[in-house]
Amino acid sequence: MSMNEFDDMRLRDRIAANPRPALFWLVGALVLIALELGRIADGVLRLGGAMGLMVDMVVTIPSSVRGAVASSFGTGAGIAAFVVTAFILLGIVAIIVKWLFIPWSLVDRLGIDVSTGREDILERLLVTGLLAIVAAALVWTPVGGLFEMLIGVLTRGVEAVGSLTTITSREIIPNQGYQLPDGSWEGTFLGLSPAWAWALRVLVVYAYALTWLAWLWKGYEIFREHYREADWTPRDDSINRLRTHYWGVFGFVVVFMFVVMALWAPAVSPVTAEKNLYSPYEHEIQYQGDDGVESITHGDANMNSRSRGGDQNVGLMSYDDYDRFHPFGTNADGKDLFTFLAYGAQVSLVIGLLATVLMAVIATVLALITAYYKGVADLLAIIASDSVIALPRLLLVLLLSVLFMQANHPIAEIYNGGLLLALIFAGTGWPLLWRSVRGPALQVSEQEWIDAAKSYGQSPTATMRKHMSPYIAGYMLIYASLSLGGVIIGVAALSFLGFGVQAPTPEWGRAVFEGKSFVSTSSWHVATLPGLLVVFLVTGFNALGDGIRDAIDPQSDSGDGSAAAATGGGG
Amino acid sequence: MSRWRYFFRRLLLSIPVVFVGLTITFVLVRMGPVDPVAAIIGPEGGAANRVRIEQRLGLNEPLWRQYIDYIVGMLTLNLGQSWVIQPSTSVGELLTTYAPRTLWLGFWSILIAIFVGVPLGFYAGLNPNTGGDYLASFGGIVWRAMPNFWLAIIFLAVLRQSEKFFFGIDWNTIGVTVPGLIGQPPLNFIAVTDWVSLGALSIPIGFYFSPITLAASIKQILPPAVVLGSAAMGNEMRIGRTAVLETINSNYVETAKAKGLRNRAIVWKHVFRNALVPLVPIITNEAFILIGGSVIVEVIFGINGIGYLFFQASVQGDLPLVGSLMFVFIILIVSVNILQDFLYTVLDPRVGYE
Repeated sequence: MSMNEFDDMRLRDRIAANPRPALFWLVGALVLIALELGRIADGVLRLGGAMGLMVDMVVTIPSSVRGAVASSFGTGAGIAAFVVTAFILLGIVAIIVKWLFIPWSLVDRLGIDVSTGREDILERLLVTGLLAIVAAALVWTPVGGLFEMLIGVLTRGVEAVGSLTTITSREIIPNQGYQLPDGSWEGTFLGLSPAWAWALRVLVVYAYALTWLAWLWKGYEIFREHYREADWTPRDDSINRLRTHYWGVFGFVVVFMFVVMALWAPAVSPVTAEKNLYSPYEHEIQYQGDDGVESITHGDANMNSRSRGGDQNVGLMSYDDYDRFHPFGTNADGKDLFTFLAYGAQVSLVIGLLATVLMAVIATVLALITAYYKGVADLLAIIASDSVIALPRLLLVLLLSVLFMQANHPIAEIYNGGLLLALIFAGTGWPLLWRSVRGPALQVSEQEWIDAAKSYGQSPTATMRKHMSPYIAGYMLIYASLSLGGVIIGVAALSFLGFGVQAPTPEWGRAVFEGKSFVSTSSWHVATLPGLLVVFLVTGFNALGDGIRDAIDPQSDSGDGSAAAATGGGG
Repeated sequence: MSRWRYFFRRLLLSIPVVFVGLTITFVLVRMGPVDPVAAIIGPEGGAANRVRIEQRLGLNEPLWRQYIDYIVGMLTLNLGQSWVIQPSTSVGELLTTYAPRTLWLGFWSILIAIFVGVPLGFYAGLNPNTGGDYLASFGGIVWRAMPNFWLAIIFLAVLRQSEKFFFGIDWNTIGVTVPGLIGQPPLNFIAVTDWVSLGALSIPIGFYFSPITLAASIKQILPPAVVLGSAAMGNEMRIGRTAVLETINSNYVETAKAKGLRNRAIVWKHVFRNALVPLVPIITNEAFILIGGSVIVEVIFGINGIGYLFFQASVQGDLPLVGSLMFVFIILIVSVNILQDFLYTVLDPRVGYE
């Protein structure tokens, strides 16, 4: 909010002046959060764990660079490289920290008087210096130990919250049970059959997610009515156009369903991945055998419910011999296909989002810089992006993932290769995105208001952020949603070839690979359903992208070569 | 900027692009996490062997020396040899064996995509908002969203049981008989049997041509070509539709109508010709997709093309071969880019006058 120096009142002040509608909305949101507190805490915990791993990796970069440089150029050069790398990393962190957490200007506070261009640089140098002091304190003084203890306490607290039951948990609506000889069910929710219990839980999940959606919309309306200063902004029209754009709405619905399936994968799948996919021989189930209730491990039960064509088949919407319900049947190893796909959706979503966000950030920053400075900066960016494009993308991605996986590089371990894939796709995909927004960015940089901002003495970063980026953001949204589909197809294709996400982590491409020999048998579902899901999802992302484009810029032509190139051909 | 100056600027730009592309490849292959020698000598290679191979590959030299050697070697078309897949076969030899199959595949996939996608798109654009338009547009969108690897598997499964799906027509025996769905197309349908030499120049005079082998070859390549061209077909349809819609509503078409020109002449002379311009980058972009996407199709359909060769080379750690193949791909893509700029310069007089 630091940028609103020309606004009369900040949002915070406006809410303080009239708190009732905001409080009303907040209470509703808190109730919704409370219903799913356990699951949210779980998610926070996993996110925190992943961040911790990332930080650990990044921290090792300077020393590994030192090692590499020292081995070929001597110790002195190694130490110099260490310092330079550490400084660059701290600088990157400083930009983020400054942007997120420091709303005032340190330079102004200290009363240093420099020209506007230098002010930004000095500001960042100051923040970098502060960060360096903090980092040094963490490494060499007891503050580090204290900090670790604090994190440990926090983690345990969140863990305790995470064990709370939620309305969508399988303890509340269990769907695993066994059928007594008289036909009634034991162990399931209200004695319903596992199929109905499962369907009910899925229904609850989607109802909950829909409520959230409605509540967020309500929040936006409250904001518009009570807290926004302008009665009308162009964005209102865009949103209205999107709401009546049926093709875009279809895309939104598909994407929403996919995201909910991915976020609530443990809830919508008939059995948890831990029990069915990761360690099937350590968990048991009860079923009605020939002589009363017997128990068997998931692994053994899976062995007898495989789908391999012919008589060995557990098809759609059917039960296996152990009273387990399989909405999408089982795969060739007897694992529940729906569980596999739901968790696979999570993997696809995480990789796709991570890659797309990284790509979009690189492309936006680059587009702003090249459009603002033009000339040499533009030329260098053209050469760099053309060079990356000149390497065939799928082959480059394949080569990179093979190289890192065969070398057992530590980065390939995180998320079973997921992080590596996201980085690879981001590194090879940004030129396409940059190319798509370069035109709009150049166009906006020619506008008179940019000239005015320059002559007014506004710093380049402020001009880019305030006057150029809002114009590009809309285009970015369109192309990002289109390229997300491309990344999902690409990851699936790589996994199909055996070099994407590794077993046992479920992934859609691997599901197709495992079922490919059974397509023409009775177990056709194993390879066909994941493929259909990919088609459905990618169509959804394309439709959403079309909808957003028509909403933002109704005059634009609906066919764009670069957008097409972004989605096509991922494999 | 005049049109040709624009074109030459682009031509000049492609030189640093090749260099940077080669540098990226060098960094990946020589400085990447995998040791290039490890796969060549195998698990029980021995130190003496390792030193010998390192010397042959020049890996014992300092890095900058290796870099210069690599760049100079590539640019003088000294592509080196394969070390793991087919030891001591030169890359040039490998390319003459493997590349024709990929070219044949690419040729047909581009051709099919153009001859199905463009007419469908033009049809949809000429009849906007009719049932046919909706069917073609929606079909194109879904067709484009299908992942190649999945489409290939479904194609194989359907064609294997073609009697069941196509009223008793068996794919394998209809027309010419092909040995099976999976396998490479026979490319020996044309050959030169006789040469006559005029001084230093050799001119072929005798030809061998077998229409049946040609037919079998086309039939063999058809399913993979359709799969490989699927995304491009959808794109061409979409862009073709928009382009026709745009031109048909433009002023010069109004003028032509007012002039009393026949509908046929308007469509052929004024609409189609101008609608083809935005299709140029789409068709040339296909080349990228084909080079990259052919891996999957070639692996599934069992065609020993360059995509398959690259896949095998990277999986088995034949890094010298990977480096050379990457150079070939870079040159291919950069030339296609130049061709695209050339076509643009010739076709569209507005280029360079932005």
